[in-house]
Amino acid sequence: MSEQEKGPGGMSRRDFLKLLGAAGTSVAFAPFVPWGKFMPNPSSVTLARVPVILPDGTQANLNTFPVNHAEVITYPETADEVLNEEAFRKWQFIRLPEKFGGARKDTSSFRGYSMICLHLWCLWKYWPDEGRMRGECPCHGSMYDVMTGTAFLGPASLQAPPSNTLPNLDFEADSDGFMFISPPTWGVNSNGVVGYGRFA
Amino acid sequence: MAASLDRRNGFLEFIYWIWNELDRTIFTAIKFSFPARFVSPFGFLGMLTFIMFITLGVTGALLMFYYEPIMTRSWDSVAFINNDVPFGFHIRNLHYHGSNAMVMLAILHMYYQYFSGRYKIRNEVLWVTGVILGTVTILEAFTGYDIIFSERAELAISIAASLTNSIPIAGPMIRELAFGAGFHDFVLRFYAQHVFILPIVMLGLMAVHFPRFLVFDVPMVMAICGAMCLAGGVFPVDLGFKFEPTVPPGITVPEWYLTALYAFLRTQYDKFLTGVLWPALFIGVLLLTPFLDRYKKFSWKDRPWMTAFGITGISQILVTTYWGFYIPPDTTIPLVERLVIDPINLYLVMILLVPLSFGFTLMMIHLAKEAERKAKLAKANGPKKVSEIKLSIKWTNWLLVALLAFQVFLNIAAFNAFLSGMNNVNLWITGVILITFAGFFHLYRYAMSQSKNIPKPPKIPTTKLLESAQKPLSKTDQTKLPEEKLPQGQVVENVTPEIKTNTAELDLDKDPNLGMSDLKKP
Repeated sequence: MSEQEKGPGGMSRRDFLKLLGAAGTSVAFAPFVPWGKFMPNPSSVTLARVPVILPDGTQANLNTFPVNHAEVITYPETADEVLNEEAFRKWQFIRLPEKFGGARKDTSSFRGYSMICLHLWCLWKYWPDEGRMRGECPCHGSMYDVMTGTAFLGPASLQAPPSNTLPNLDFEADSDGFMFISPPTWGVNSNGVVGYGRFA
Repeated sequence: MAASLDRRNGFLEFIYWIWNELDRTIFTAIKFSFPARFVSPFGFLGMLTFIMFITLGVTGALLMFYYEPIMTRSWDSVAFINNDVPFGFHIRNLHYHGSNAMVMLAILHMYYQYFSGRYKIRNEVLWVTGVILGTVTILEAFTGYDIIFSERAELAISIAASLTNSIPIAGPMIRELAFGAGFHDFVLRFYAQHVFILPIVMLGLMAVHFPRFLVFDVPMVMAICGAMCLAGGVFPVDLGFKFEPTVPPGITVPEWYLTALYAFLRTQYDKFLTGVLWPALFIGVLLLTPFLDRYKKFSWKDRPWMTAFGITGISQILVTTYWGFYIPPDTTIPLVERLVIDPINLYLVMILLVPLSFGFTLMMIHLAKEAERKAKLAKANGPKKVSEIKLSIKWTNWLLVALLAFQVFLNIAAFNAFLSGMNNVNLWITGVILITFAGFFHLYRYAMSQSKNIPKPPKIPTTKLLESAQKPLSKTDQTKLPEEKLPQGQVVENVTPEIKTNTAELDLDKDPNLGMSDLKKP
């Protein structure tokens, strides 16, 4: 032991070989460990084009859905009714009031915004009353522009982008007027991140 | 009494064997003392916090038998525990009030150490781990009341998660990694953190945090547990309203240890600043305290700056804790205006509290020093003014009997209350039982220490002589025959002729006191 040769760094040959062994082992196994992949929940990322199903079980139709009216829809819907209760899967399906062009018989008169308020995640909803016609959060009074989904009053409006604009869904309609949700891309530069926001 | 204890049966022998074998374990490194007289509870608040931790572990484990960490079922399972499971009400209340007691005791423990300067004598590691432990304790309590998933819990979860979101750049990623993506994940993951991850972290920190000298004061432990039951009986924890995603939750405030933070959040300044940076600053300053304190002395009177800082912190915490709770009751003004705290107002008060606290501290130090000086003068000149309660043995005995009788009555009353379904009355009486037991134990301890003062009977010289002559004999006997080791009592019997020792005298020499029994003693 005592006559072991010391390398230039003051390290013995045996220690150097041990270190090499340890480093080699970790390098050999590193590619097989999907670092951190375990932590995020993968169940919320399977996305498809699905019909807009209203709370009464029917599919939304742009010919019959009333102007200046909102319903709660679930997206992405799963076979698990517990997961369907999830507030993060709740969206406000809104037909704009007439003064914002809600009378048009196409998808441009519809909006879908995540119900999770960007301030502290209460569930806001759309108020169709005259003089309101905006999304209002019951907790701290954040108010959302129904045209863009951007907060214009209250604490959510004070947050820096992207946290001042609600994530949205895009809709398509077939020739009969039945409506579908286009597969969204979760990201701040596209449809947004639920509970975080979107660049308007 | 002494005779019956001397005879060891097999089971007792086994217990003593275990006790002795503990010599090989880490526990002997800890000096574990049961004080023989009243000692100030400030000295062992940490131990009381630990007792609460154990209580919470036991009650929490029992709650796990029924609790379901599923978004749509957790509230119902807690309601089931509370309303239908026998003793579920008790266990849930003990768990809830135990958590409050633990946070409170931890805070008191910290401030006692702060003002008495205990963190100085190479106790920096104890202090730093203690501050981290305190933070984790609050996180533990926070995750605990969140997983009921009532309306209030939902708001608390969303505040926690959105505060994590507000961290620049990495925030949303940290939130998704740590809490998942939705309330279903949050409940499940908060549960995992509450019942396993955070307690394990706490145990690890405790292994570092435990000092070598521990005080286990039975009456005070009993009194604290009793107070917990009393609190559960008088203020039973409610269930709140079940959270429904389509029904927006009403106005709620968090638990008392978070309302201070909530007051800052309610100013509606930037979330990251008010909700993350301010508390981080507070915890950071606490962590650095031993390294900032350059005074050579320990007492708060000799460290005016540190004391003033501490008092400022406490006053700001008290004010914001109340402010966070307070929501103007006038329902005619809009909700937002009722909730929002004017930031200029709040921060102005915070700043104003600084000179006020400094002035208060200087005044207190001045008064305390003056009182000290006067006391010294009085000690030198005046008569000795020390009053104490002295109970004769007779009265002590009668009091012990009376307390025992009272306990019997309380037990019957508690049982009666339980039979009639009055759970909170039962819990309350259980608290009284524990506190009565604390008094009983203290009186017993007092009586034992009083019995030490009984004058000894005159010694009989012959006994001592024979005893000393006998000792080397038995020792050589043992070294001679190591293989056929007989129980010591038998060896003595064989070697020496019958000697009646004066048992009364020996008992007195042995010190019948309960106090200062280390694990090393057999």
